[in-house]
Amino acid sequence: MSTVQLNNLNKKYSDVEALKQFSLEIQSGELFTLLGPSGCGKTTLLRTIAGFNRQDSGTINIDGIGIDNLPAFRRDIGMVFQDYAIFPHMSVEDNIAFGLRNRNVSRQEIKSRVADALETVQLSGLEKRMPNELSGGQQQRVGLARALVIQPKILLMDEPLSNLDAKLRIELREDIRKIQKKLGTTTIYVTHDQEEALVISDRLCIMRSGQMVQVGTPWEIYKKPADHFVASFVGNMNFFPWPFAGLDFHDLKVPTVIEDLPAKTNVGNESEKLIVGIRPEDVLISNSTAKLKSQVIHLKGTIKNISFSGREAQIHVKLIDGNQLVAHITRPGERLLDEIGKTVQLELPHKSIMFFNNKSGLRR
Amino acid sequence: MKHLIYSLNNIWTIVIFLAFVIVGLLLIFPLYNIFVASFLDNETGVFTLQNYTNILGRRYYRTAIYNSVIVGLSSMVGALIIGIPLAFFTTRFNIKGKSLISTLAILALVSPPFIGAYAWITMLGSNGWLRLGLESMGIFMPTIYGPLGIILVFSLKFYPFVFLLTAGAIRTINVSLEEAAESLGCRPFSKFMRVTLPIIFPAVSTGALLAFVLSLADFGTPSIIGRNFRVLSTLAYNLFTSELGGNPGLASTVSILLILVSLIFVYIQRRLIRKKDYGSDMLRRPEVKQLSRVSSIPVHALCYLIVFLSSLPSLVVIYNSFRKTSGPVFKSGFGLDSYRRIINDVPDAIFNSFVFSISAVLMIVALGTLIGYTVARKPSILTGFLDSLLMIPYIVPGVVLGLGFIVSFNSKPVVLVGTATIIILVIFVRRLPYSVRSSVSILKQISLGIEEAAISLGASPAKTFLKVTLPLMMPGVFAGAMMAFITAINELSSSIILYVGGTVTMPVRIYLSVLDGEFGTAAALSSILLAATGVAVFAIIHITESDEGVFL
Repeated sequence: MSTVQLNNLNKKYSDVEALKQFSLEIQSGELFTLLGPSGCGKTTLLRTIAGFNRQDSGTINIDGIGIDNLPAFRRDIGMVFQDYAIFPHMSVEDNIAFGLRNRNVSRQEIKSRVADALETVQLSGLEKRMPNELSGGQQQRVGLARALVIQPKILLMDEPLSNLDAKLRIELREDIRKIQKKLGTTTIYVTHDQEEALVISDRLCIMRSGQMVQVGTPWEIYKKPADHFVASFVGNMNFFPWPFAGLDFHDLKVPTVIEDLPAKTNVGNESEKLIVGIRPEDVLISNSTAKLKSQVIHLKGTIKNISFSGREAQIHVKLIDGNQLVAHITRPGERLLDEIGKTVQLELPHKSIMFFNNKSGLRR
Repeated sequence: MKHLIYSLNNIWTIVIFLAFVIVGLLLIFPLYNIFVASFLDNETGVFTLQNYTNILGRRYYRTAIYNSVIVGLSSMVGALIIGIPLAFFTTRFNIKGKSLISTLAILALVSPPFIGAYAWITMLGSNGWLRLGLESMGIFMPTIYGPLGIILVFSLKFYPFVFLLTAGAIRTINVSLEEAAESLGCRPFSKFMRVTLPIIFPAVSTGALLAFVLSLADFGTPSIIGRNFRVLSTLAYNLFTSELGGNPGLASTVSILLILVSLIFVYIQRRLIRKKDYGSDMLRRPEVKQLSRVSSIPVHALCYLIVFLSSLPSLVVIYNSFRKTSGPVFKSGFGLDSYRRIINDVPDAIFNSFVFSISAVLMIVALGTLIGYTVARKPSILTGFLDSLLMIPYIVPGVVLGLGFIVSFNSKPVVLVGTATIIILVIFVRRLPYSVRSSVSILKQISLGIEEAAISLGASPAKTFLKVTLPLMMPGVFAGAMMAFITAINELSSSIILYVGGTVTMPVRIYLSVLDGEFGTAAALSSILLAATGVAVFAIIHITESDEGVFL
């Protein structure tokens, strides 16, 4: 169990800054995820920690000790690769034993530790198989066992599930989390899949253009996004300008506490223009004649489109001013599609509404 | 710790350094000397343009340039006409015995061209059995001698380049494009001409270029069946070795022109395929269609006729080698006379050939694998430059490099002319690119992640290379070694210039025997070459399970 500190890391590729003054502390035993769009620097960061490329400046400490001058093969860091990187010329057993043999572990111990590792990843009995006799999911389990069996100080995982099909991805990500919790190995996990990141992580770091945007628990990231970028990258979000352009305020049926919203106080102030965000699942749809509630903004609109995906449906509603809002409903009813064209009332509870600065994108 | 990293980096630095020294010494230096010699007066050694004005000004020499280009282009067209349909039929239709067809094509490709020339003489020469046979039926065939014969031999020899490259491209084309053309009303033939062929143009034109450049460079074929038909490669050889006293200046000038013509065509092809890489990630491969009963027979007949004609020379040679001989003349009946003769008369040629090629191959593999690794895994300006330098042997004809070696290593401090070393070295540098290229291409298939995985598991870079990378590279290294061996043992054009009595090799001996009319000896030696070549091809196909690409 080890901690990792990254201090002011910088890395430049020709003219692209892959890492800019990047600092981060990862706790012992934590499953920590780096999440961001492609090109945000997350893979660069992971490979820098692994020692496959070297930062231009800044330091990396494991348990307070600098590892910057250690070559990759002395770092004692396990790594799981996106394309599995299983040695195709070695059996499952030899793949897993590879790291132990480099560490001069005794034959007997290798045998028992390989067996343990195989059991951990539920591949017992496949010792003698060659990689080409394994499915993608099994190969990645071998990759995980191979990285864990050396009892690394930290474990790095570079999009380990992105080459697997959807069902397997869900199955394996749950296993990865279970195994990680059981062994307590400090783990840094890279992915661009926001749902995977939320499910698997203890904490996660959202990255953009080589910089950290927000670090927090999955709940914090989802419910309290630091800015417009995080809010739109993690989960879905409706955005529209505030106040609503071209919308008469008398159409905006806000029976109570409009005073509490920044909208009223800041109308017209150019530098403080705001964007309103609300998650589709927080938007409620009611009959256009339903009673008005307190602490809720009521908006009228017409249902333009409905996309039904089984357990849920997305209702696209066009507001009077032309803006579109999406509402998420679960367990849609049978007559759902008949609703297209109907006028409905949208309920936006005050507590679910987020405000972002139009310019900086920061959340207020 | 730091020390260890540096010392490891040093290994690759040393490899790069060594590679530059070798390429500089064995490739650039000889070519530079040829270049310089082409501007010098033979007698006085002062700068002159006389050699160039001589060659370009006199009709006798100009004809050779013209002839070379005509033969090269005609052979290229011949290879295209044979190779493209064969590729199309074997990839798109259920032709029976596809692997037999491609194996025969590969064998035709790797067997030495002068064997083809020789075999065609015994069939279509003045007294060729095929020609006489046809004549008795009232069909008069021209003899094989002259430009048409050369073009025939080259077309049947180099079409496999077009065939293999085109077949590979047709197999991986995104079939949706063809279906789109069809749905837009394209008939099958126009679909092939307007959609398929333009998309696979880079591969087809690469095959065509190879056919052109190798036709231009080949020495044995025009020398054996050209008679009075001069081309640049035979001209360079004759000017240099002329009994009236060689003319190194003119020979060098012809060599430079030979390289120049090749370069011009390489440049044209590069220009034509620029921005034409339509590589697609789409994995919708074309389906293999069933041929109707009516069309099945002619299509099969055509495919098998092509590979039969291209294998015919080898079959004829092997057949001839078992015929009874009396002196240089074939008699009726079979026997081992010819083999007995070569073992008694020219055992040194056989011995030399194997020793020279195996020594060259060992050096090629050792250095080529390491260079291949640095080119593939340590990309830098230096390794990139090295990679392009290693393209040079592909366009420099053997005759030219042989001349360069004589000019360069004939005087102190390095006198190599007349030794076995010079023949081994010229083979080494000419075939080094095979090993480099096959190492690079197998490394492209080995994910970098695999090496990183080994390193992250605590294996040092040296151990990673030995335990993980090298074992995975083995199929490529082996295939490259076998290809180098095949081309080394069949090498004629440079050895014909560099050999002396004691360093004669089988191809040189065959060439001399054919000129002397000793067809039995030539047949037996050729059969040994064919057998060695066949074993190597078999080893590549069955041991490494490589695809056909390694033979190109």
